[in-house]
Amino acid sequence: MIRLTEVDGIPAVVARTGGPTHAGLVFRVGIADEPLARRGITHLVEHLVLGRPSAGHHRNGATGVEHTYFHTQGTADEITAFLEGVCAVLRDPPADRIAEAAEALHAESAGRGRDRLPMWRYGARDFGMASYPEWGLDRITGEDLHDWIGRFFTRENAALWVAGDGPAESLRLDLRSGVRQAPPAPSAAPPGAPAWFAGDSDMVGWDTVVRREARAAVFANVLERQMFRDLRLRGGISDQVRTEYEPRAAGSARITAYADSLPGRREAVLGGMVDVLAGMRAGRIDDEDVATVVGLTCDGLKHAESRGGRLPGQAFNLLAGRGVQGIGEVLAEVRAVTAADVAEVAADAYREGLLMTPEGTAADWAGYAAAPVSSGPVVSGRAYRGRKDRALRLIHGDEGVSVITGDATATVRYDTCAALLAWPDGGRHLVGEDAIVAKVEPTLFRGAEEVVRDLDQRFPGALRVVMPARDPSAVPAPVAGRPWWRRET
Amino acid sequence: MLPAMPPHHPVLDPAVAYPKIAGLRTALDDGDWPACRGLLDPAEPAERTALIQAGADEPGLEDFLRGVLRADPADGAAGALLGRHLINVGWEVHAEERAEPGCPECFRKAERVLISAAAHSPGDHAVWVSRLITARRLELGRSEARRRYDRLAELDPHHLPGQVEFLHHLTPRRGGSWERAHRFAVEAAEDAPPGAHQPVLIAEVHLGRWRETGRGHLAGETVRAELYDAAHHAVWHPDFRRTHGWVEVVSTFAMVFALLDDQQAAASLFAELGELDSAHPWNLLGDPATVITKYRRNAERAAGGDR
Repeated sequence: MIRLTEVDGIPAVVARTGGPTHAGLVFRVGIADEPLARRGITHLVEHLVLGRPSAGHHRNGATGVEHTYFHTQGTADEITAFLEGVCAVLRDPPADRIAEAAEALHAESAGRGRDRLPMWRYGARDFGMASYPEWGLDRITGEDLHDWIGRFFTRENAALWVAGDGPAESLRLDLRSGVRQAPPAPSAAPPGAPAWFAGDSDMVGWDTVVRREARAAVFANVLERQMFRDLRLRGGISDQVRTEYEPRAAGSARITAYADSLPGRREAVLGGMVDVLAGMRAGRIDDEDVATVVGLTCDGLKHAESRGGRLPGQAFNLLAGRGVQGIGEVLAEVRAVTAADVAEVAADAYREGLLMTPEGTAADWAGYAAAPVSSGPVVSGRAYRGRKDRALRLIHGDEGVSVITGDATATVRYDTCAALLAWPDGGRHLVGEDAIVAKVEPTLFRGAEEVVRDLDQRFPGALRVVMPARDPSAVPAPVAGRPWWRRET
Repeated sequence: MLPAMPPHHPVLDPAVAYPKIAGLRTALDDGDWPACRGLLDPAEPAERTALIQAGADEPGLEDFLRGVLRADPADGAAGALLGRHLINVGWEVHAEERAEPGCPECFRKAERVLISAAAHSPGDHAVWVSRLITARRLELGRSEARRRYDRLAELDPHHLPGQVEFLHHLTPRRGGSWERAHRFAVEAAEDAPPGAHQPVLIAEVHLGRWRETGRGHLAGETVRAELYDAAHHAVWHPDFRRTHGWVEVVSTFAMVFALLDDQQAAASLFAELGELDSAHPWNLLGDPATVITKYRRNAERAAGGDR
């Protein structure tokens, strides 16, 4: 049974469990809290706290979208030592190790695939941050770190879980004082109709946002089973299918679905996915699937309960102001889910769905609206002509910058600019909060050097991201007449 | 002196050969949906697909069928019929106003209806046949066409209307090859029961290739032999049945033998057809009524000797 208590003034969930003793300290902060130009700062804190991995001792951390936690397993003394050590580093972070940690994080992220759906749904802010690289790492100062920790890694913004014998009486969690941080609110309005954009791989991806409830979690698993049947077993058009249910602090949940395509099967994976989603929306939910998923979910919950696996989630809930939910209540909620419930979720999920099609394919034929790729009206200001492409224009004004190709416009206003990416070769990319990128490349526009000078004056500090030197082949060269900009990271 | 033979007027309306079509048309005209379902529901899949294809030609069905679907979104017959109807509308827009092949927006509209129909009734043959057409018109790619055909073949591995549509996807015009199309036709024919209509797919491939590459194609000994073989397995097979679609099958072989200049064989098939004909595949040669009249006369003259 999970018991709610307090340890040194910090709310805690404790359960006597059969498995090894483990404990974790969680803070209500994640990448959704980061501004684009500081992207990576939470991960950096986590990395500085944990330091270099030490042999024989299980110590772990994770930086999530809304929560960051530090976790260990061991004897009561080891746990006490670990948690007090975490607090000590947060009290006095080693600013001299920032560069080294940033280096390590860059190496860690190299080659990691990025989830492109969030930025298409939310832009370059809050929940859209998951799509972006850790661009902020190289400019984070000791002061930035101090401020970030002072805002988020505080006593009021923390919760604890302990599985096993309970925390030692002597445990002191000496954190700075602050305020509880509300979960980030998504700043973009939901699309209200299914939308699509073209991805850059052989995968089809889909995500949606629904109410956080047991039947939505069941839906996510039923969806995976249906995808497995239609995309993998039937016709062999995909090798890997998966779905995920991610509850959010504020009461919604994100559901994602991915399927790769076997060689030459991109269109079929897309068509198959369109049909899977349409079928479930139409209420074609297999009763047996629902029964199986409900059974597996309950087994998983019971197992987690016995090992303290439900504790982290319950600690997250404390930070959102929710009470502890007993296993009996949770199981009853899951067991009550019917195929009709799942069908209802499917219909809502479909409406809010965002589809990422495999590279080179489109989904307009299937009734999905194109997610917008261009933004606001063109700014007024001085125009610069493209060097070879006469349809290319750069407009530089007092409110912002517009880059116009034949039929598309990318406008970023200074007052809604999320970051200015600056390369040593003079290239400057303005990333708007809506994720639109206006690319100011002096190699492409006559006389654009003066635009670069002006942008550098306008964005000397917080929003500036210094990029490493580009390979000369990566610097855009003038090309006659083809659209060269698009939303990208 | 014998009286002159009365001139042949080809009967191209499929309703003459298949009276249920007339019944369906009347029910659609009357807006009598229960009567439509009464005709469609008991029909064998191939017949049902053909009925839907023919019924969908009726003008102005959209409002009526959308009304039916509003009342019951899961009515697969209404979805199949509306989807097919909108495909036909797409073609008419082409014929009247456009230089491009068909109206993409109309085909998208049809596809959306068909997605919903397939979602509610994944076991509806006619829906998958129509989705093979929209896949082609909207250029959704060969792997998607294959997926749709596989879904149909799962329901019935010998659904000729779908096999005819899928064949188009395998031709060079759709990024395939004549060899690939040919292989599919031969396999479909071999897999079908004795006397089935499927060998007509072999004739279709050779006619298509002949049309694209020129007269020489039919002259080859192998091709010729294969066409006779196909006829022996279909129209000349003792188990050949006059089930739905038979007129088009016999008519196709009649055209094949007319082009091979075997007037005897062509004449016997024309005789088998009696007064019936089908516009396809004669429309490959021009206005079907005119062309059929000419070829029938030639065949009868040559086969019957000069009178």
